[in-house]
Amino acid sequence: MSAVENKRAVVVGVFVFLALVILVAGIFVLGGQQKRFTKTIQVSAVFDDVTGLKIGNQVLFSGVRVGVVQGIAFEGPSQVAITMDITQEAQKYIRKDVKATIGSESLIGNKAIVLTGGTPQMPVIQPGDRIATSAQLSTEEMMQTLQENNKNLLAITNDFKQLSAGLAKGEGLAGALLTDDQLAQNFQAILANLQRTSATSVRASQALAQFSNKLNTQGGLADELLTDTVTFNKLQATMTQLEQVMSTANQITSKLNTTTDKFGSNSNALGVLLNDQEFAVDLQMTMQNLESGTDKLDATLESLQHSILLNGFFRRKAKRDARQKEREQERQERLQKLDEKEGKKNQLPLTPPDTLAPAH
Amino acid sequence: MKFHNDDDKPVRRPRAQVLSKQLDRVFTELNSIASFIGRFFKEVFMPPYEFKEIIRQCFEIGVKSLPLISLTGFIIGIVFMNQSRPSLAEFGATSWLPSLVSLAIVRALAPLVTALIGAGRIGSMIGAELGSMKVTEQIEAMEVSATNPFKFLVVSRVLATTFMIPALMMYTMLVALLGAFLNVNANEGTSFVTFFSQVFDAITFLDIFSSLFKSALFGFTIGVVGCYKGYNSSKGTEGVGKAANSSVVTAMFLVFIEELLSLQIITALR
Repeated sequence: MSAVENKRAVVVGVFVFLALVILVAGIFVLGGQQKRFTKTIQVSAVFDDVTGLKIGNQVLFSGVRVGVVQGIAFEGPSQVAITMDITQEAQKYIRKDVKATIGSESLIGNKAIVLTGGTPQMPVIQPGDRIATSAQLSTEEMMQTLQENNKNLLAITNDFKQLSAGLAKGEGLAGALLTDDQLAQNFQAILANLQRTSATSVRASQALAQFSNKLNTQGGLADELLTDTVTFNKLQATMTQLEQVMSTANQITSKLNTTTDKFGSNSNALGVLLNDQEFAVDLQMTMQNLESGTDKLDATLESLQHSILLNGFFRRKAKRDARQKEREQERQERLQKLDEKEGKKNQLPLTPPDTLAPAH
Repeated sequence: MKFHNDDDKPVRRPRAQVLSKQLDRVFTELNSIASFIGRFFKEVFMPPYEFKEIIRQCFEIGVKSLPLISLTGFIIGIVFMNQSRPSLAEFGATSWLPSLVSLAIVRALAPLVTALIGAGRIGSMIGAELGSMKVTEQIEAMEVSATNPFKFLVVSRVLATTFMIPALMMYTMLVALLGAFLNVNANEGTSFVTFFSQVFDAITFLDIFSSLFKSALFGFTIGVVGCYKGYNSSKGTEGVGKAANSSVVTAMFLVFIEELLSLQIITALR
């Protein structure tokens, strides 16, 4: 083999080798991506509807790709059994009570089996296990719900149509509000009143705020009451004293009650005086007897005045009384004159000198 | 014209053509091609094996086509990515560009572009080369010198195209994806890992192996057509040009037909 031929052979060999490297690398990357060369376990799940699911679709657990769909086959009357390969690496994280649903990789992406849930207390999934499934809301069901919503929407718009027609005709309070000018004016007046009321409320609240500010002013009564401990102590002492006074008053009241209770009984003098009728009659008779006795004594004394034995005594007594009366009268007159003099003395300095001079 | 037998009865002269002149030519051509292919399969397994010639042809067909094929693949990756972007951008789905472009490149563009470039460059080269050898009676000279010209000229070239076109397709695939990555990286800032992750998310083994199979078929077609046209070229310098031209046109046409048929088969398998 010549050198040129040898070189060609090497170059062709390198060329083919590199092409094979590209092919093998592609196969390995693709296999790795599809978990073809990793050890897997096979589990299954039965669904009622697997619309859009294909062999080779991903199996996701918590959003991580853990396997691929390996087979789709009918089972039972209208169910579909999905066989899936799950990597042994992910097996330890997936529990027996995990649930499978048919989701999608993205909003408009491929369908995928989505494994969710699983409690740590349960054992890990084993080869051949059948995973429980939960039905996903299908597009048809969503469309049915949407259709119901459409019907409701139609009914609501019809109601609104009737309502707006009534409003336009002025029916009902709202319609009258929209069409009746008088009612609108009244409404405006009410609003104006409300506005005024709110303004008054604002002022009242401002006044309250000022009042509360004053209450909080340092040195004020309320502030002292609320903050000064000395005043508080004094108040406390006063209250204590008041309590004592009140207790004393209570005692007095109870004693008075006892006393007044005694007034009601005939066991004492006042009770007899107040309550005993016989004693009252006796007392009345005694008083009458006394009255008649004093009358008789008066008559007796008068007769004694006119008697010879005591006539001189009474005459002298009368003269003495008369003289005493006269002396008293003279003393009164002197005092009166003295007062008049003092009054004149007090008036003279107030008169100006030129007014005292005679007019020429 | 009527013939007369001994009894002076008129008899029909056998017709020069069976169906019609054109149809006869078509079917004769088909028969000739089938015989040519049959002879190839017969010769390919029979010794002696022309390894040196096969390697030389691999070098001429495969290695020397690499720069042209690589450049074309690179440009196609960039252009296809740019042309696909506006459509996906309307849906706000430019993140799907790697998936879309990878599917297009792996499933269709890489095998087809390699085959078409191969048909243009290799088909014309083989047709012209064998045509000139036919015109200059070198093929007959080889037969005289006890060398099997079919084995030496045809089998080596057809084998070289059958093996080299898939290899070139792998290069085209890689270079086109790199071109697409550079474009998407420059525009969307997609990283290398993300890009190739999305690429391999989208494609399957079936895509790769179907493309390899298609490329081998395309390579075989290019080789057979080029060799047939050159091996059976008419005499004269005009025949060489015709052989080169018709080998390119026929190979390209057959590549498209095969692409269409293989697509149906692969879709059925998918």
